[in-house]
Amino acid sequence: MDSKKVDMFIMSNGKFFEIHQINTIKDRLNEVDDSKWAMLSTAQFKDPTTTLIVSLLVGSFGIDRFMIGDTGLGIGKLLTCGGMGLWTIIDWFMIQKATREANMKQIQQFLY
Amino acid sequence: MTLDRNKLYSVLFIACLAGYVWLYFSVTKNITEKKLVEVCIIKHATNIPCPSCGSTRSVISLTKGDFIGALKFNPIGYLVAIIMLIAPIWIIADTIKGTKTLFNFYIKTETYLKRPKIAITLILLVIINWIWNITKEI
Repeated sequence: MDSKKVDMFIMSNGKFFEIHQINTIKDRLNEVDDSKWAMLSTAQFKDPTTTLIVSLLVGSFGIDRFMIGDTGLGIGKLLTCGGMGLWTIIDWFMIQKATREANMKQIQQFLY
Repeated sequence: MTLDRNKLYSVLFIACLAGYVWLYFSVTKNITEKKLVEVCIIKHATNIPCPSCGSTRSVISLTKGDFIGALKFNPIGYLVAIIMLIAPIWIIADTIKGTKTLFNFYIKTETYLKRPKIAITLILLVIINWIWNITKEI
């Protein structure tokens, strides 16, 4: 893919991924052909900040986990009152990383 | 956190273990109802019960054989009790055999529950249960 497009993609979507993953994504984007660009530019990634806000407000019901696609863990959180409150607090710190990893999983579908 | 077999099993196992410890603690110490609900942050902070408030009391009623009482406290207690009974046995069996049947079952259930029709029905059920929880002031 055109390196200009790759740079543009990284600039506008870099915040959705872990820093150590950016280089992998960049290398991979340079290799794939232009036909993937249309799909990539319309892909919707979850914003880690939004999930953090959701986690702070309604984390006890597991909504944050449902949002990033971890339905099973979400149900676990919902049934146990947010893991007796403990899991809710742990997730305030974990959810941003989990969101970025969910985004990475999503972009891998386009890249490979 | 990308969930793989070992991670899922340890999370589930720890959750079940914590559940059993909590159950033992609540049964033996004979904690009064008022103290039992205090473990829930939402109930503690806002005085409004959350959708799963009362499931401890429900599971305790189940262990005493009071099935109707358990249903009255919170129907979610049945679900919790079933998971707590089955999950540890399944995990141990899987670990001994070295298979991952529970993990495959978990992934299958997850994709099944994501289907809009089922998801909406379940969300509605949880909301109805929540409203019932609030009206009976559990």
